[in-house]
Amino acid sequence: MKVVLEHLTKIFPSRNKKDKNAEVVAVNDFSLEIPDGKLIGLLGPSGCGKSTTLFMISGLQEPTSGRIFFGENDVTKLSPENRGIGLVFQNYALYPHMTVQQNILFPLQNLKGENRLSKEEMLERATKVAKLVQIDEFMDRKPSELSGGQQQRVAIARALVKMPRVLLLDEPLSNLDARLRLQTREEIRRIQRDTQITTIFVTHDQEEAMSISDYIVVMKLGVIMQTGKPQWVYDDPANLFVAKFLGSPPINMLSGKVEGGALYIGNERVLEVPELEDREVYIGIRPEGFLLRANGRLTCKVSGIDVMGRDISVVSTNENSLNPVVRSIISADEIGNAEGDTARFDLKPHKVFLFDKETEERIYFGEQVAAHEKIIAQMKAEGQDYVTHEGPLPREADDRSSSEQPPEEKKGILAKLKGLLPKKREKAADEQPEPVEQPEGQDDKE
Amino acid sequence: MDKKKNQWKAWLYLLPAIVLLLVFTVWPIFNTIRMSLLKDYDDLAAIGGATFEFGFANFAKVISYRGFLTCLGNTVLLTVITVPISTMLALLIAVALNSIKWLSKIFQTIFFLPYVTNSIAIGMVFMAMFSMIGGGPTTEPVSIGIINTIIEACGGTRINWVNAGSDYWSNMFVLIIYIVWNALPFKILVLLGGLQGVNKQYYDAAKVDGASRLRTFWRVTVPLLSPMIAYVVITGFIGGFKEYSSIVGIFGESMGPVGNPGSLNTMVGFIYDAITNNPGRASAAALILFAIIFAVTMVNLYVSKKRVHY
Amino acid sequence: MTENINAVSDEQILPAPPKGMKERDIRKVSKKQTVLKVLAQIGLYVFLTVIAIAVLFPFYWMLISSLKTLNEYNATVPTLWPQEFLWANYVTAFTGELELGQLFLNTVIVGVVSTILSLVVTVLSAYAFARLEFKGKNALFAALLATMMIPGELFTITNYVTVSAFGWLHTYTVLIVPFLVSVFYIYLLRQNFLQIPNELYLAAKVDGTSDLKYLWRVMIPLSAPTLVSITILKMMGAWNSYIWPRLVANDTMHRLVTVGLRGAAFVDEATGMTNFPAQMAAVVIVTIPLLLVFIFFRKYIMRGVSRSGIKG
Repeated sequence: MKVVLEHLTKIFPSRNKKDKNAEVVAVNDFSLEIPDGKLIGLLGPSGCGKSTTLFMISGLQEPTSGRIFFGENDVTKLSPENRGIGLVFQNYALYPHMTVQQNILFPLQNLKGENRLSKEEMLERATKVAKLVQIDEFMDRKPSELSGGQQQRVAIARALVKMPRVLLLDEPLSNLDARLRLQTREEIRRIQRDTQITTIFVTHDQEEAMSISDYIVVMKLGVIMQTGKPQWVYDDPANLFVAKFLGSPPINMLSGKVEGGALYIGNERVLEVPELEDREVYIGIRPEGFLLRANGRLTCKVSGIDVMGRDISVVSTNENSLNPVVRSIISADEIGNAEGDTARFDLKPHKVFLFDKETEERIYFGEQVAAHEKIIAQMKAEGQDYVTHEGPLPREADDRSSSEQPPEEKKGILAKLKGLLPKKREKAADEQPEPVEQPEGQDDKE
Repeated sequence: MDKKKNQWKAWLYLLPAIVLLLVFTVWPIFNTIRMSLLKDYDDLAAIGGATFEFGFANFAKVISYRGFLTCLGNTVLLTVITVPISTMLALLIAVALNSIKWLSKIFQTIFFLPYVTNSIAIGMVFMAMFSMIGGGPTTEPVSIGIINTIIEACGGTRINWVNAGSDYWSNMFVLIIYIVWNALPFKILVLLGGLQGVNKQYYDAAKVDGASRLRTFWRVTVPLLSPMIAYVVITGFIGGFKEYSSIVGIFGESMGPVGNPGSLNTMVGFIYDAITNNPGRASAAALILFAIIFAVTMVNLYVSKKRVHY
Repeated sequence: MTENINAVSDEQILPAPPKGMKERDIRKVSKKQTVLKVLAQIGLYVFLTVIAIAVLFPFYWMLISSLKTLNEYNATVPTLWPQEFLWANYVTAFTGELELGQLFLNTVIVGVVSTILSLVVTVLSAYAFARLEFKGKNALFAALLATMMIPGELFTITNYVTVSAFGWLHTYTVLIVPFLVSVFYIYLLRQNFLQIPNELYLAAKVDGTSDLKYLWRVMIPLSAPTLVSITILKMMGAWNSYIWPRLVANDTMHRLVTVGLRGAAFVDEATGMTNFPAQMAAVVIVTIPLLLVFIFFRKYIMRGVSRSGIKG
């Protein structure tokens, strides 16, 4: 079942009666088509509206505006039980007074009318699902007698037993310890492959999302920042936020400028970018984008070297770096190219991303332009929209006191705005004219 | 050294409490047991040097009293009827209060009002509402009272609830209404507090699982609230067995309608009636009451241990 | 383990999801849902309103009855609003055999004195149990808690004998002293004291503050809400107490308000019938202070009550 979200917006009313403007826009004009049978990761920092989006898809929260389609059907007004969804809560919300089996049976016992099952059928189904998630040996235990990972699987079983058309998982791994997390995420991947149920899961952990999702959706302040296959989003971030959010170790950010067709960091000419105009830019360099050369163009001061087997991580400093250190990962045989504590790097052009200092949007150069076009074409071929966010965000880091958080959204501080709708463009990457855009400059007024 | 100094200081702080407790709490425990075992114990006679036969004579006497059996019956009946009714009603009200937003605070305040009232005083109001004025066994009453008026307006027939010649079950009915009215606030308060402490996610989960309101109530709310329900039931039983002032409020110290005094007396009433002239017998009755309350509480605890989840 | 997974997955565990509903069905279901939701909300409000009326009706009846003339009250068809307001009922209530003025005075004296003394005793004991170290502290505290399980009637009998022997019958003392110590309040306050971090105490010690001064300047202000709860409940207890006062001080000079109210006959001299309006006026006078206290201290009362289950 494909899931289509059209202009979903969720505004939590102001809790403070005196300050009517304190309302919180948790999700802002969110449009996305989620293809059938895929595993989608909704990814973003806390407070980005990802959980709210999930709860709107589940029907537990009603969107302020916008529509939700399951297949061709508009389910926006349907209550959760009529949507055919399964939902796994962050803390599982297993009924503490019921055994594992009773927990799994509960959704089946609620079926009415023609969907009603006989007792035997219910038991059979519950047993099958329990086997699928491998908890069939604990059927008579209470949730409190299970480990976190086992509880997690019971929660998944309870969500699956009704054979949902869409499976929703809210931070499914956040309550597990590191080892279990790794194991369980493979488990989720396996279960999703076995059942082929369209699955949407929410996480703030980029590694988690990257490792098991078919597609990821990166969100910030209730707005989609970029969509795509994990590798594509990593290789071709559309803006500064996405570039910084994905990748471990994180991307190195430096300040620089384009002048006379070349990219400068400080006064070192690091790359040739003949087609670009002169401007100030942010430069993001993935750690694996460095080549240590005796006559490399970028000079850094080495402050530490970590040997990680085949690869070596060089920790160095550069005065134009926006982070305390520049971290590069190079292959072990290059290390001989360093002289004393000075490292000279050449940069791999496809690992270097330039961003406009004002809009923080990506500036493509050289072969990146073609690579970018290719990714968009591939996404179209797979029936996926390529969605990014352009223009300023509705509200950048306007930290409101946490006491004013809306009751429903426990995940932090969200965009506050009224009458300040962001511009978002969907590059459908086809030949049709792009949707009507508001004239440039509108942004400034807002 | 400092420690030693603190020792006597602590006892100094505790001194007033301990003295008072020794005299008015600890000593009574022993003395009540002692008096209950001395046949027809009398204080003044005891000071005069009289001795009393030791044994269970007081208990035997108390149990053989018809008056005592009436009191015991009334007490058990009132408790067994009012506790389930008030608990169920309080549960429904608490759940209803918990699922509305608008006006919820006002309703909460209204439902708590009976708690802060004087149960004797409001008992008199109930008496006034149920009682007929004037008239006798053969003559028509001057006024049949507001409750009977309402009943007749709804097509029923009037009943002699509390006046002279009224029957036992009519009296009981009025008492039950009043006791439930009086017992609701505390139960609502505790159950509502419990409900507000239940993680909202269980209800979200129940919604996703497609449970109807009714099923959610029975399969999720009641089990999750079972510790609170047990608490309310246990304290309800204890309070029920000590019922006294509600009856005084409505029927006065005669503990019954005019012409039938004592017909509605309770265990506590029996004890108080005996205090002044026969403390030995009162003690025996009090110990019997204590034993009953203790046993019922143990049964309650046992049942709730089996039924209360987690 | 892996084998197991394969075995399960090969079997195609979950049949194809049920076919999606038709557009029209969905609209129908959505509509039905909305209607049900609205109906349920209406049902809830109707239910709560009915109960609220049942709860409030006695108060309403008490108020309007207290203002009716005796004739109107005795009318064949009771009126729901007084035809004329007879404030004289309140005068009758005050001046009749009831002697409300004296009752109020007695009750206020007993209430205030017993509350103050009780607070002192409770604070000192709670402080000792919460902050001071001494031998047998835990055993003593457990013993105290154990006495809470015993019904009060058991104490009353001996206490009656005791106060008679002390010659305290028909005095204020007998109304104040025997129930000064409440184990429950000590428990409540001790829990509150325990929540105050010990570092504060140590810091005060370093500064050379005496125990009493620390108690007065730090502990008491920080526990003010609990102390307010105790004060109100204790005062309400004096106002509502009936059984003990009737037993030991049922004379004009020391009678408390509830005892007096229940004892008075309210007979109309002309007709010989019960003067319900005057009686209701007296009931209103007794009830109003409680309602006022409730309105102003609702939070404290509810906080104390939800933890006790003991009335008054």
